Amino acid sequence: MAALPRHRAILLAYLGMIVLLLLTSLVSPGFLSLSHLRTLSVLAAFIGIVALGQTFVIIGGGIDLSVPWVLNCAAILMTLMAKGQNGPLYYAIPLILVAGAFIGALNGAGIALFGVPAIIMTLAVNVILQGAILVYTGGTPQATAPGLIQYLAVGRIGPIPVIAIVWGVLALAASFLLSKTVFGRQLYAVGTSPTVAEFSGVPVVRTTLLAYTLSGFTAALAGMLLTGYTAQAYLGMGDPYLFTSIAAVAIGGASILGGSGHYVGTIAGAFVLTILAGLLPALDLSNGALLIVYGAVILTTVSLASEAFSDLAATIHAMLRPNSIRSEPS
Amino acid sequence: MAMEARSLDKPPQLGAFALNPEWRTRLADRAPFFVACLMLILLVAVYGTLRDGVFTLDELNVDTAAAMTLLLAATGQTIVLLRGGIDLSIGGMISLGTVLAATQFGETLVSAAAWTVFILAIGLGVGAVNGFLISVLRLQPFLVTLATWSILSGAALLILPIDGGSLPSGWMRFGNATFLGLSTSVWILFLLFLFWSWFRHTRLGLTIRATGSNERSAYLSGVSLTSVNVMSYGLSGLFAALAALYLTTQTGAGSPTIGKDYILPSVAAAVIGGISLFGGRGGLSGTIIGALILTIIGNLVFVLSVSSYWQPIVSGLILLTAVLASSLAERSARRSVG
Repeated sequence: MAALPRHRAILLAYLGMIVLLLLTSLVSPGFLSLSHLRTLSVLAAFIGIVALGQTFVIIGGGIDLSVPWVLNCAAILMTLMAKGQNGPLYYAIPLILVAGAFIGALNGAGIALFGVPAIIMTLAVNVILQGAILVYTGGTPQATAPGLIQYLAVGRIGPIPVIAIVWGVLALAASFLLSKTVFGRQLYAVGTSPTVAEFSGVPVVRTTLLAYTLSGFTAALAGMLLTGYTAQAYLGMGDPYLFTSIAAVAIGGASILGGSGHYVGTIAGAFVLTILAGLLPALDLSNGALLIVYGAVILTTVSLASEAFSDLAATIHAMLRPNSIRSEPS
Repeated sequence: MAMEARSLDKPPQLGAFALNPEWRTRLADRAPFFVACLMLILLVAVYGTLRDGVFTLDELNVDTAAAMTLLLAATGQTIVLLRGGIDLSIGGMISLGTVLAATQFGETLVSAAAWTVFILAIGLGVGAVNGFLISVLRLQPFLVTLATWSILSGAALLILPIDGGSLPSGWMRFGNATFLGLSTSVWILFLLFLFWSWFRHTRLGLTIRATGSNERSAYLSGVSLTSVNVMSYGLSGLFAALAALYLTTQTGAGSPTIGKDYILPSVAAAVIGGISLFGGRGGLSGTIIGALILTIIGNLVFVLSVSSYWQPIVSGLILLTAVLASSLAERSARRSVG
């Protein structure tokens, strides 16, 4: 029974994506051209990769606010280590990915082992990383992305962008992890109720730790790839990804309280946000009007998805158990 | 697991404290609050040894003035957190409030008073809409308030694209006045205490707390979730508007982007003070302690005269230590309760 509303929420996210895409093509012709769709998928890939780890963390009932500066630190460290050359990348990339995963594990340890609220733990780590990279670089990082990274971010194999392929592989792996593995099922259990999960023998600490580790890993990966797109690492490049990563997960149908959602939905969420970001400049609005439209669209998207699915769930619930109390709104 | 099962069978052991179990449970519930108090005392002590003149009335006036905007925002956040929600829209409301005040107040008392009331009404109204959407459309508080935050920030940017505007000089004098040696901010702090000691015993205060600790049983006891949500988010919006108005007395200008600096700190202040993010637990005194801790941390970093690059590291580490200490204290207190 739980599967139906979940799939419905994901379907609605895709429906929203298609409607937005068509609307946008009405406003600005050429939006549906191949080259533009390609740009769209490249931009969505960055959000999608950051949101991958965020999806796991949110399904597990947490939230990762350290994403922006994990991403930013990874980008800056990569450019500093590589100095524009491909050679050093063979040790720089694995090293930075491990470092990102380690920061994630640190978040997870504070939250799962010591009971620090996720918002505070990851917020503090974010702030500390921000300071650390400022101290390390003296405020002015000056390095360009090496060729290999640029190829990964903007290159193409045939008509398909390389990063879209990278994203596709990651998406398959994430979906497999969530749907087909013990870890995935344990993650949903922890997100639904850590207490129940604990008493059912789910390794809550390990599961939480893994989710945050994954989030640190994907944020670091996205940071390095993003450098290839912007050609340079700069301070503050990760900031937009805090709310886009969370919003992508939420638009994709996951509950921010944990226990539901799927990466398949997050992919649609990443596209919705990217299309929106492309649509708004086409409308030639001021920055203020942009924010208003942005808020209105988020509100509309989530309320369409959410009300439809919770009504349906309530109806099914009432049909299956006529004597039970109708599930109350929250 | 086996140990816990055994301790349930035995009668409660008398530990180091010869308290009855009920009192010990209460102690465990308040552990984070006590740790926060200790933390504040410790920070003030360190601050006092590093700088002269910390233990004076002037310093109290200055520090409460620095903490007051955060404190007002965090008061609203506390109410919403007790309800078991979260309000991100206060960021937008604070920006919008300062911008409206800085552009519309004019020089006459009547227009300033009218706009003050209007800004407070907007805060209340926007909050009520948040609460209404959350309960009627059954949406997540995080998403709804994220969206309204964006909308309010957009409105603020439309009214005043860059920092600026001006406020009547009398308005600023009022914000920085002293009465009986105490600044306006200290008097507001007293008022907040008074408000809370009244509010927490009101029907609404109790309902918010009950709904936050167990929504289902509150609903089954006849609580209307819609009205609880409308009231708690409405109050949060109102306090955000108050925070905005107070902020303008300090800055003397409007800023369409300043509000975002208060969103996460308002949650942090409450959490440091022992308010549970899962609702139902904690009180305003904890939040006040939390907001003062955050302010003193800022002062300390300044007094230590570390490079500005180090400031985020130091404040992040102190914040983490504070929260870590309080969650560890809570755990050990609960363990001793058994």
